[in-house]
Amino acid sequence: MPESQRVFFKNYCVSCHNEEKHKGKVRLDDIPFRIADIPTAERWQKILGAINSGDMPPEDEKQPKPEEKAAFLEVLSKQIVVALKALSDTGGLITMRRLNRREYVNTIRDLLDVEVRPKDLPADDDGGSFDTIGSGLFFSSDQFQQYLKLARIALDEAIVSGPKPKAKTQRREPEVEANKHAQGQHEHYAKDKKRYEDWKASGKPPTDFGFEDEADANIKIALVRGHMAGFTSYLAEPATKTGLVLESFMGLLGQDQTRLPGNAAPGAYRLSIRAAAMDPAHPCFIEVGMHGNGSGVGEIDILRCVKVTAPMDAPQIIEVPFTNTKSGSHVVAVRERRHNTSDAAYFIEGQRSKENNGNAYRATAWIDWVEWEGPFVEQWPPRSHELVLGKEALPAKPSAADARRIIERFAERAFRGRAVTPEFMERLMTHFDERIAAGETFLDAIKTPLSIVLASPSFLYIAESSLSFSPNGKEKSAAKPGRLSQTELATRLAYFLWSSPPDEALMQLARDGKLSDASVLAREVDRMLADEKVMRFISGFTHQWLHMVRLDFFQYNHRLHPRFDGSVKESARREVYETLRVVLRERLPLGALLKSDFVVVNDILADYYGLGGVSDDAFRKVPVPAGVPRGGLPGMAAILAMGSDGDRTSPVERGAWVLRHLINDPPPPAPANVPQLSRLAGKLMPARQLMLVHQEQPQCSQCHRRIDPIGFGFEHFDAVGLWREKEYTEIPVLNQFARETKLFPVDTSGTLPDGTAFDGFEQLREAIAKREADFAKGLVEHLIEFGLGRPCGFSDDDLVQSVLESAKPQHYTPRALIQALVSSREFHTK
Amino acid sequence: MNTPLNRRHFLRSSTALIALPFLESLGFRRFASASQIPARPKRMVFIGIGWGVTQETWYPDVKQTGAEWTLPEGLKPLAKHQKDITIIQNCFHKHSIDPHSCSTFWLTGANKFGVPGKSFSNTISVDQVAAEQFGKDTRFTSLALSGSGESHGAGLSLAWNRQGKPVAGLDNPVAAFHKLFSDEKTSLAQRQAELKRQQSVLDTVLVDARALGRDLGKEDNDKLSEYLESIRDIETQLAKETQWLDVEKPKPGLTEPKNGVSGLNEIRLMYDLMVAALQTDSTRVATYRQPVDVLIKGLGLKFAGHNISHYTPGARMEASQARDRGQSELLAHFIERLKTTKEPDGSTLFDHVSVALGTNVRSQHYLDNCPTLLTGGGAGIKLGQHLVMSDSKTPLCNVWLTLLNGVGVKSKSFGDSTGIIEQLRA
Repeated sequence: MPESQRVFFKNYCVSCHNEEKHKGKVRLDDIPFRIADIPTAERWQKILGAINSGDMPPEDEKQPKPEEKAAFLEVLSKQIVVALKALSDTGGLITMRRLNRREYVNTIRDLLDVEVRPKDLPADDDGGSFDTIGSGLFFSSDQFQQYLKLARIALDEAIVSGPKPKAKTQRREPEVEANKHAQGQHEHYAKDKKRYEDWKASGKPPTDFGFEDEADANIKIALVRGHMAGFTSYLAEPATKTGLVLESFMGLLGQDQTRLPGNAAPGAYRLSIRAAAMDPAHPCFIEVGMHGNGSGVGEIDILRCVKVTAPMDAPQIIEVPFTNTKSGSHVVAVRERRHNTSDAAYFIEGQRSKENNGNAYRATAWIDWVEWEGPFVEQWPPRSHELVLGKEALPAKPSAADARRIIERFAERAFRGRAVTPEFMERLMTHFDERIAAGETFLDAIKTPLSIVLASPSFLYIAESSLSFSPNGKEKSAAKPGRLSQTELATRLAYFLWSSPPDEALMQLARDGKLSDASVLAREVDRMLADEKVMRFISGFTHQWLHMVRLDFFQYNHRLHPRFDGSVKESARREVYETLRVVLRERLPLGALLKSDFVVVNDILADYYGLGGVSDDAFRKVPVPAGVPRGGLPGMAAILAMGSDGDRTSPVERGAWVLRHLINDPPPPAPANVPQLSRLAGKLMPARQLMLVHQEQPQCSQCHRRIDPIGFGFEHFDAVGLWREKEYTEIPVLNQFARETKLFPVDTSGTLPDGTAFDGFEQLREAIAKREADFAKGLVEHLIEFGLGRPCGFSDDDLVQSVLESAKPQHYTPRALIQALVSSREFHTK
Repeated sequence: MNTPLNRRHFLRSSTALIALPFLESLGFRRFASASQIPARPKRMVFIGIGWGVTQETWYPDVKQTGAEWTLPEGLKPLAKHQKDITIIQNCFHKHSIDPHSCSTFWLTGANKFGVPGKSFSNTISVDQVAAEQFGKDTRFTSLALSGSGESHGAGLSLAWNRQGKPVAGLDNPVAAFHKLFSDEKTSLAQRQAELKRQQSVLDTVLVDARALGRDLGKEDNDKLSEYLESIRDIETQLAKETQWLDVEKPKPGLTEPKNGVSGLNEIRLMYDLMVAALQTDSTRVATYRQPVDVLIKGLGLKFAGHNISHYTPGARMEASQARDRGQSELLAHFIERLKTTKEPDGSTLFDHVSVALGTNVRSQHYLDNCPTLLTGGGAGIKLGQHLVMSDSKTPLCNVWLTLLNGVGVKSKSFGDSTGIIEQLRA
C-alpha cells in the first residue's frame, strides 16, 4: 500500500480504531501497510467493504471529501487486487489437468474419427479463467461414469461390422403435413367461432354450447380472433398447394422438420432443399440447423443460412451437409431466418405484424421438397474402424493375441506417448477374456477394455512427469524446474495450438528427439498454425480471452432489434474468430485487430454492415469503404452487442471491456455492497445521462470515472451494434403494452484513463489503436495462462517482457508472439 | 425364502422404509410383533435460490420482531404457514467478496483465497457434515440436486466434500427419479455380477492411476487424488449398493416423471423428489441448487436471472418481485407436502425435517444480510419468528451450527462460526 494512503487512513479510520480507542472492538493502527499474507489482505478487504458500503466512517464522524474518498478507494481496491494476485501466484507451478470438454471432444475425434456430444460433462469454461487451468478442473464420480459411457458410445460408432451401409435417399413433400396441420387448426377455430356465435344468438347458458362458463367462451373467441385469420390466409395462398410456405409466425408451420429414422447409420449426410423466393424482388434467407440438442422448441443449432433468390418457376437447390451421430440430435430443421428463441411473444408480435400487412407472403420462401441422403461412405470399413483395429484386415477368427495387439496400440495412442504398463495391459486383457467368456463377439468384447482406456487417468489427464529430461530425452534427473520430455512438449504444444492431441508427424519428431532443435520446433509451430485445426485454438481461446460468453447472456430484444436474429448473432461471433484467423495467417500486425481497413464477413454480416459484394455464406476479407465505421474489434457487431443488456447499450460494459481486453488496464472487480443508485432508474433519459449517477458517490466514481467515458465513445452503435444517429429510449407506462418513447441526440465525446480526449467513435478507435503494445501485453498474459494452463502471475513479468520484445520488430504478429512463447524456457519446463 | 419375502412384503406395505441393518439387528420377527415404533430420524434440506431477493419487499420490517410480524409482499404466498417459518436477518459470510459465487460458498462460508498459492479453495458444506453422520444408515448418503445449465458460481451442486471438492448434483428430475426409485430389471445374480464387473473396472483404472502417480510430483498427485477420490466414492456407492442389493427400492408415491418437464413443474418435481426421498428414508440429507432461470422462464418473465438481480425500479424490479412471489409459492407447496406426509408414528415429515432456504447474496451485489428462511420441526428451531440479530455481521455459519446441533450432529464449530444462536432455539 503506498504511503500516500496513510493520511486518509489516519484521519478517518485510525482516529477511532487505535490502541486506546478501539470502537466496535476494531483496532486498525497495527495493520501492516504491506499486504504480505492472507490475514492482512482480509483485514484490508474488510476496511474496503466498510467504506464501500457506506458504513464507515459513521455519519456522526468527520467525513472525507468525495474526491479524497474516491482516491483512497481507488488505490485500496487496486492494491487488494494486486495483493490477491500476488498471494495466489503459483510461482510458475503448473497443476496437472484433465482434458476439458473441448479438448475431450477433439481428442475423441482425432483418436476415433467420431463426434461425441457430451452434454452431461461440465462445460469447464465458466470459472472466470481459462478452461485449460488445471487447478480449476475438478473431477467427480459422476464424471467417471460419463467418460465410460461416452467412450462406449463412441466405440460403438467407430467399430463396424457387416456390409457397407447403402446411402439412402428420402424425399418429402413438406406441404402435406403442414397443410394438414393448418386445416386442422382452421377447422378447430371455425368450430369454436360457430358455437360462440350460436351461443350469442341463442340467449341460452354457455354450458349448452360446450363452454365451461362465460369466461371460457370469451377466451375461446379471443383465440379465434387472434389466430384464425392467419390459417385462413395461409390456406388461401395458392403456393401452399404445391409446397410449404415458410411462415415463421405460425408455430411449427414455419419450420419443416426432417427426422432421420432411429436406425439411420451415423456418418455424413446431406439435406437438399428445392426452394424459391415467393417474390424474387424480396429475396429471403432460410436457416437449416439441428433441432433438439437440449434446446427449446424455437431454438436450433444453425448449420447454414442461405439466401434464396430463385423465382418460383425456376427454384434453386440448396445443399447442406450434416453429421448424424449416435449421441446427438436426429432432427434437421428448415425455417425462415429469425431470432433463435422460443419466446412466445416473438411469434405473437410477428403474427400481428403479418396481419397488419394483410398477411402477404412476399418476403417468404417456398419449399418444393426436402430430401435427405446418406450416409456417404467414402471407404469401408470406415476410417474410424481402421483407427482402432488397424488397416490390415482381421483374420476370420481373431485370437486373444489380435486383441492384445489392438488394445496395446490403442492405449499407446490414447496415452500420448506415456508407456502402458504390463500390469495395466494384463488387466485390460482380463476384461476382454471375461467378455468373450460371457459370449460376446470379438468386436464387442474389445470395446470394454478400450472404453476403460478412455476413462483412465493417463488418457484423461495431461500428465507431465516430475522428472527433468535432458534435451535429447535420454537422461532423467530431479532438477528443478524440470525439463519436459519431448513427447510431453509435443502434447503441451498440440493442446495449446490445436486443443487436440499431437498428430503422428509431431509425435514422430518427438520420439526421434528432434524437437530440441529450435528450427525444427519453429517449423512445427508454423505447420500447426497453418493447419485447419488451428480454428479449435482460435475459437476456444478467443471465446474466453475476450469474454464472449456475454454474447449468450441475454435474449436480444426482438421487438427493439429485429435485425439481430440467430444467423446474424452466429455470424457476428464467427467474425471475431475468422478475423483472428486472417490476421494470423497473413501475418498482419496485431494492431489490425484494433483498427483495420478490412473486415472478414459472410453475406449475412456484409448485409448487416451495409457492405455489398458478398454473395454467399463463406467468410472472406472485404475492404471497408470510407465512412463505414467497421474494421477491428471495436466496430464488430459481436463486441458491441456484448456491451449491452439485450435492450439498451451499456457504456459501463463497453468501457470496462476496452480496459480489460484492449488496453490492458483492467478495473477492479465490481465491489460488493456498494449501495446501488436507482435515483434515475425508470426515467426517460439517454444512457449517457443515466451514467451521471456514478459520479455522485465516491465509491462509484473511483472506478466509473475511468470506465464510463470510454463507453460513451460507442454510443453511435445501438445495443446490437448497428449505427444510429439518434438514441431511441422507452419506458413502460402503467402496463407493459403502453410505452413512452423519445429520441435523443448522441454525445460521443470522452476520455481514456491516460487523458487522451476523443470525440466520436473514429477518434476513440484511433486512440485505442495507438495502444498496440498494451494490447499485445494483455494478449501475451492470456496466452501464457491458456498455453501453460496456470494463472499468469507477477513471477511471469520477465517472460511477458521477453516475449513482447522478441515479437516487437514484427509488430506483435500473433505468430511471432506464439513462436516466442513456445521457444521460451517456461514452455519447456514445469 | 420365507423370511426375505415377508420382509420385502413388510417393507413394501409400510409407507416408510426402515433401514435394513436396523431390521437385522433387531431380528425381523421381534420387530414385526413389536408395537413400538422407533423414533423417526432427523432430516435436513437446503434450498439455494441463487441470485438473491428483492430486498425492499422480501424482508419483514425490522421493527416487528418476535412472533408478531407482517408478512412482506415477497413472502405473502406463505401466509398459511407463517407460524411455521422463521426469518433471521443480519447473517452473512465474512469471506464473501464475490457476488457471482452465491451458490459456491453458501453452505461452506469458506474463503476463496484461503490457501496461499491457490486462486480458489473451498471447504466442506454443512449438509455434508450432517451426511457423514446421517448417511450411514440410508441407501444414499445424501442427495444433491441442481438445475441444468446454471451454477451461480463454481461447483457442481451446493454440496462440497470434506476435501473442499464439489459434489456432483443431479440436474435431471427423470434421472434423479430413476436413481432413487427404479429397480433394475435384472435378476439379483445379474446385478451381483454387474457390481462385481464395475468393481473390476475400478480396479483396472486404479492400476493406471498408481503407475501415473509414481511419475508425478506432489502437486500433481494432489490433483490425481481427485480422480482417486471419485473412484473411492464409486466404490463406497458400490459397497452400499451391494449391501442394499436384496432390498427393493421403495415406491415413492410419485408417478414416474416424463422427460421434457420444465419451468415451475421442474422445480416442483425436484421438491416432490426430495419429499419422496426423505419419506422413504432413501436419504436424510438433501440439497437443491435451484435454477433461477428455470423459475423465471416458468413464471413467464423475460429477463435472465442474473439480470433481474440487478433490478432498478420499473420492469426489472417488478420481475424480481414476481420471482420472489413465485419462489414463495413453490416453498408453500413444499411445506404443504411435508406437512401432509405422514410418518409411521402418526407425526408428519415436517416434524422431523430442518429446511433452510436462502442464498449468499441479498440483492444486486450486496453480500450482507443474506436472505435466510428456516422451517420444519427437525432442528428444534422456534418457528413463526422474525429475528433480527443485533450484530449485523453475525456469521451465517452460526445458523448452520445451530441447525447441525439441533438435528443431533454434535459439531462444536462450523466454518467461521462463533457459536450457536440461542434465540433460534425453541
